Amino acid sequence: MMEELAHHILDIARNSLEAGATRIEITVEEDPAGDLMRFSVIDNGSGMPPYVLRQLTNPFFTTKSGKKVGLGLPFLQAAVERCGGNLEIQSDVGRGTTVVATFPYYCWDRPPLGDIPRTIVSLLVGNGHLDLRYRHIYNGHSYELDTREIRSRLKGISLDTPEVLIWLRQYLTESLSIFSGGGGYEIARRAG
Amino acid sequence: MKSLAELDKLREKLQEEMRLREGKEEVKVVVTMGTCGIASGAREVLTAILEEIGKRGLKGVTVTQTGCAGLCHCEPLVEVERPGRDKVTYGHVDEKKAREIVVSHLVNGQIIKEWAIK
Repeated sequence: MMEELAHHILDIARNSLEAGATRIEITVEEDPAGDLMRFSVIDNGSGMPPYVLRQLTNPFFTTKSGKKVGLGLPFLQAAVERCGGNLEIQSDVGRGTTVVATFPYYCWDRPPLGDIPRTIVSLLVGNGHLDLRYRHIYNGHSYELDTREIRSRLKGISLDTPEVLIWLRQYLTESLSIFSGGGGYEIARRAG
Repeated sequence: MKSLAELDKLREKLQEEMRLREGKEEVKVVVTMGTCGIASGAREVLTAILEEIGKRGLKGVTVTQTGCAGLCHCEPLVEVERPGRDKVTYGHVDEKKAREIVVSHLVNGQIIKEWAIK
């Protein structure tokens, strides 16, 4: 099982990469007052035909060779069901896929959000060309990071150079901490 | 506090280093990041490797990722490929082991045989 929602996000976005996506949009929405925690991963990958979509939460179904199980989405489905949340998946062949997972904010069975900067940086390792937009909405306010902006400042230096990724992780950690006032509730959940 | 101006300075430093390194062969480090890997700690291993490379100022190392390698029971897996040498695959890697692999294998050229699975 995954310990953090950020692990699930990484897993879903890895599926996007394997589907040939060149652009991925990840949005995390925290609304404590509305008792809502939601994330979405939208990609422009190859998409899935209806027969694959029907089997997505079957752990014994995979489109990959060399193994007989596909556990990523079943894990997410189980995490959502434990909290009475909701998982929506839409896909169009040739256009891309959208995964939206919705949880109640105040539910002890919900995995904590976890280390988003680490997830974003991990996705970019070996994928310096990827257009990745990360959007974080907290109490109705929005923070956004777009790798296209970072890449334009690098002028030819690859985004996935270790020094750049280390800088990006620190930059994102500090920016999100300031943005969400330190995220005390989620940090306490991780410590617990 | 990290800023975008700091990124500009970092870029200038990296451009100069890239010019000096041009044409030299790279060591390749691959971390498997399927669901099994992520659930076992591959994300933490991957970022520990990046940090250790950055801390030691290692040049000529390409870090990348791949999907499930079919060895789910040995995750997290780390492969190290040096030019002209056989590929070494380490199994059951955690953050501490990952840092040690960087020091021993990448810096000193010593394979840690007891952690290697092939």
